Amino acid sequence: MTDTKFYNEISEAIVNLNKEEALKLAQRAVSENMNLLEVIEKGYGDGIRRIGDLWEDGDFFLPELMLGGTIMQESLAVLLPYLKEHGDNLSSGTVVIATIEGDIHSIGKTIVATMLSANGYEVYDLGADIPAEKIIETAIEKKADVIGISALLTTTMFGQKKVIEMLESKGIRQNFKVILGGAPVTNSWVEESGADGYADNAIEAVKLVKELIKR
Amino acid sequence: MLFEEWVKDDAKVILFDGGMGTEIFKRGIRPGKLPDLLNIEEPKVISDIHRAYFDAGSDMVQTNTFGSSFLNLKNYKLEERIVEINKNAIENARKICPERGLIVGDIGPSGHFKPPVGDATPDKWYESFLKQTEVLESGIDVWHIETISDIEEMKAAIMAIKKVSSKPIISSMTYKKTKRGFYTIMGNSLEECIHIQENEKVSVIGSNCTLGSFDMIELLREMKNLTEMPISIKPNAGKPHVDPDGKTYYEQPVEEFVDHIKNILELGVKIVGGCCGTTPITINGIYKLIQSLK
Repeated sequence: MTDTKFYNEISEAIVNLNKEEALKLAQRAVSENMNLLEVIEKGYGDGIRRIGDLWEDGDFFLPELMLGGTIMQESLAVLLPYLKEHGDNLSSGTVVIATIEGDIHSIGKTIVATMLSANGYEVYDLGADIPAEKIIETAIEKKADVIGISALLTTTMFGQKKVIEMLESKGIRQNFKVILGGAPVTNSWVEESGADGYADNAIEAVKLVKELIKR
Repeated sequence: MLFEEWVKDDAKVILFDGGMGTEIFKRGIRPGKLPDLLNIEEPKVISDIHRAYFDAGSDMVQTNTFGSSFLNLKNYKLEERIVEINKNAIENARKICPERGLIVGDIGPSGHFKPPVGDATPDKWYESFLKQTEVLESGIDVWHIETISDIEEMKAAIMAIKKVSSKPIISSMTYKKTKRGFYTIMGNSLEECIHIQENEKVSVIGSNCTLGSFDMIELLREMKNLTEMPISIKPNAGKPHVDPDGKTYYEQPVEEFVDHIKNILELGVKIVGGCCGTTPITINGIYKLIQSLK
């Protein structure tokens, strides 16, 4: 089988949400000593990007998005140990993500974290109701490229601004890109709070992180 | 009963209320947590907001219990206060309710999704809603289940109401607009939702939140093609905007919202009101519109 055909099979398995097949192909890629970086980029990565397109077209919804994301994560878990053995680094960047203090809405944030990690980012998901100090501490410790802060309520979104103000007062604002998420977040809030961007959904968030890290 | 009279009267459009969050802010309260807790901590603020809606022309207002189901309260470690929160909510609305006004028992989503998104099941939803409906039944006139994005969760809520109540139910799903039409974020089509809501024998089928007033016109047009049942529409008023001094307001002008409501009335609805970002000013605008069309 040509490599291209193999990559297509992987991509199809992801889009068809066929976990068994996706994991089997990951095992095969390992046992046949294939170029795993290519397998991830052209096979799994292609599949997850197509899932993103299907979401945007209204063909896929939250259940498919989550299922695709978790199958992707499990497949990567098969491949990553072998990649590390060869000293290859998959990570496209590091993201620390959390729902802000006072806000317990974690679903949107979890979906974004899943999709980011499915797209090859190293993601530290701290959970919900997380104080600004804790988010910053982790971002420093993990040498994050991006900090993602979620807030669902108009009453808690001010916590997003607090994180940015704390980064500024510590003189480390320029070390991180800060992105916001949550129903009440708009462009004007991004400007007002001094963030680097926001996304309406998980697919947009992946695009945003890609764009920000490139800069 | 009054609600049923209104539903039967073809000339009557029932005016519902508008948003709660913006109004809470306007009164200088910064909850930081669940607004439902204000039923206990700031009962006067909640009563004042209900009164402002009746004064603006609302025929009925809903209790401040959107997040007061067992599962959602548990998210905030408030589940032990479920009776107290829901009882106070009834009291806050009941004590300012005018003679020809109705109190609607508001049921919002549990905040828990079914797998693979979360770990909810129809049984868990049902048990959670039941703990809330058992309390609300004692003091409300009509039910409104709203902002639901999984039709299975809607069915569970309807079942939990019917277990304890024979009062009329308005059931409102929340839809997003896709290239292929209107769907819930969990992937239920408009057609599927309407079909199931009809089978569940609710009194009024509705939609609220997510969509703004303009998109709701299109949604309503499609709903009218799918059902003969009475319809309720509560659109959002754009997205919130935050001032440098921390005040939140919504960008859509009231006149534009009311203009869209005019289209909605022309297509034919039984109940109309507003969701996020709407205020007593919005509702009064709709009230004047309804009067002018009489």
